[in-house]
Amino acid sequence: MTGSALVAVIVPLLAGAVVWFTPDRMAGPVAFGALAIGGAGALALAIPVLLGDPVRAVDGLVALDALGAFVLLLTVVVTAIAAAGSPAYLAHEAALRPRDRARYWALLLWFVGGLLIIPLFDNLGLVWVAIEATTIVSALLVGFARTPAAIEAAWKYLILGSVGIGFALLGTLLAYASSIQLLGETSDALTWTRLMAVAPGLDPGLVRLAFVFALVGYGTKTGLAPFHTWLPDAHSQAPSPVSALLSGATLTVSLYALARFHLVAIGALGPAFSSTLLVVFGVLSLAVALPFIVAQGDIKRLLAYSSIEHMGLGAMALGFGGPIALAGLVLHLLAHALTKASLFIAGGGLVEHGRSRRIARLSGSLTLSPVDGRAFLGGALLLSGLPPSALFVSEIAILFGGFSVGWGVPAAIAAVLLALTVAGFLFHVGRMSFGAPRIRTKGPRIRAVGRPAPWRAVVLGAPLVAVMALGVWTPEPVATAIARVVAVLGGTGV
Amino acid sequence: MLIDMCAAGIVGLSVLLAVTRSIGRSIWLVAAQSALGALAAVGVGLTLGLGHLVVAGGLAFGAKVIVSPLILRAMLRSTSVSIERHPYVGPRLSLVAAIAIVFAASVATSDLALPASLGGARALPAAIAAMLTGLFLMMSRRKVLSLLIGLLVFENGLALAAFALTYGMPLVVELGILFDVLIVVIVGWVYSRRMLRVVGSLSTDDLRSLRG
Repeated sequence: MTGSALVAVIVPLLAGAVVWFTPDRMAGPVAFGALAIGGAGALALAIPVLLGDPVRAVDGLVALDALGAFVLLLTVVVTAIAAAGSPAYLAHEAALRPRDRARYWALLLWFVGGLLIIPLFDNLGLVWVAIEATTIVSALLVGFARTPAAIEAAWKYLILGSVGIGFALLGTLLAYASSIQLLGETSDALTWTRLMAVAPGLDPGLVRLAFVFALVGYGTKTGLAPFHTWLPDAHSQAPSPVSALLSGATLTVSLYALARFHLVAIGALGPAFSSTLLVVFGVLSLAVALPFIVAQGDIKRLLAYSSIEHMGLGAMALGFGGPIALAGLVLHLLAHALTKASLFIAGGGLVEHGRSRRIARLSGSLTLSPVDGRAFLGGALLLSGLPPSALFVSEIAILFGGFSVGWGVPAAIAAVLLALTVAGFLFHVGRMSFGAPRIRTKGPRIRAVGRPAPWRAVVLGAPLVAVMALGVWTPEPVATAIARVVAVLGGTGV
Repeated sequence: MLIDMCAAGIVGLSVLLAVTRSIGRSIWLVAAQSALGALAAVGVGLTLGLGHLVVAGGLAFGAKVIVSPLILRAMLRSTSVSIERHPYVGPRLSLVAAIAIVFAASVATSDLALPASLGGARALPAAIAAMLTGLFLMMSRRKVLSLLIGLLVFENGLALAAFALTYGMPLVVELGILFDVLIVVIVGWVYSRRMLRVVGSLSTDDLRSLRG
């Protein structure tokens, strides 16, 4: 069972090579098939782990605990939204050449395949290798549109991403240097479960340095300020389904890698050192995102800066620790990924219909593109953490959890920053949704869009309904799963 | 002994790279730097009988001394720009900066209480210096080729750090890292071609539209 599920998870990686040479017409269906197999394999691995026992397949290489299973599940969900939104993107993107559709699907398969195997690795070195590889593959997708701005964003992403994550490699190396003294020079010395077992005996100086470099490296990939500068460019220039994956899945996966280092650091040094750093950089990210959200004129950059804000809050929650804040973190990551993925697809639709990214030019979106416009408005309200959104519950839990474990001042600052950010965010969304439609009489006419496919409402609406449902009701299995992830994050689970 | 000489060579080449404006010569220099890193790995691997170091060193030679420079030369041939004409920081100031980096790296690592069991620990200052010089190159140059060269210098520093701290990472991780280096260079190649077609140059000056 486990073996075949593991094989299924690597199907997207292998299928990418086939799809690259498939005719454009057939590439989509083949890719959907491969993604379905990979997703099914991932779910078959993740769900039993979330509700039952951890998997340990190839010793020292592959292992899946509740934390990894959660990240795997989240990646599958975001991938489903992104894949469902891809045909509409490919149909509307004007700059495509022959063969580009096949290449898009092949790159998407490699990107998703990389994301799916990251949480399966128990070896921190291999986690690094896989995260770097997904960075590079996704850089090809960021510049897919071939406009000068997209090429600029891709270069920035490639270079800043590689340098940033180079520091994470240095952190990994220092962790290895600290553990080979106890575990010997084997690949076991980078295995997270072994590292956790010997954490109290690790050299504190090396672990401290290792965490700092891991924070810079994976913090860059998570979009924590001040290492975030590539993020608004990459997330705004990428095709919308890719933006959904970048914001929903890649950022979470990077925070996941950082959490692994955080847990090793707690084991070796106690909670004070790494927690303080996470809280400081989290608050900084909230503070940096705020002015850019308030003064934003570009719809996709608005969403990108909002991701920096939410990841900052996530880093804070990780730093706070304690069962309440950590449960809030798990729910927050899930709800943010679902909402943001739907918002990027809907926002991409608005951009295609309005032929502009400028918020001012997209006004009247509720009238001009009813399906995407409604989804965008609904998603924005949910993302802002207004009840009954799950993000309301999660943000309250994170802040309250912070207060309850002695982080009152940062939690209070975060509450103020969040409130201001929501005001700025919703101001732009209101402008766009309820403003008078700008029917241009000169210049390029607004393209006759036609009715969107009926299932588009389902693709965009289902994640939002799920986020609303999670805000008012936590089914028993979900509560169990969250408790198990929290147990790993709190250092009490396996 | 071999490690010390290779580490010294790597630092020396970093400083040379900081003052070199010819991109063609920079490609040779960074290839030589990678070769020294691979030589150190193979040499120490053979002396101490560490098979994984020999394999990793050999593959690093193929990836970073043969394939990457070939791709960089191909990029160079496709453009008329062969000299980093107006870097943000001129050669003289770059020399000062590179030497300051070397000093800073040795001072910073002198406080670090490394376990004495690590034979190559003396190479750590050199590794940090190479990493920082790579970063400096990336910050001070305008051409995308120079950015990739800076990235490779940074990576050489990282590889030397891996070597100095632990005699290399586990083989499977080393292979992954080399794979990543190769695909970074290849994707950089893809984008430089795309950039030549769309923007018409390989200078980052023409990539300054995204703000705010």
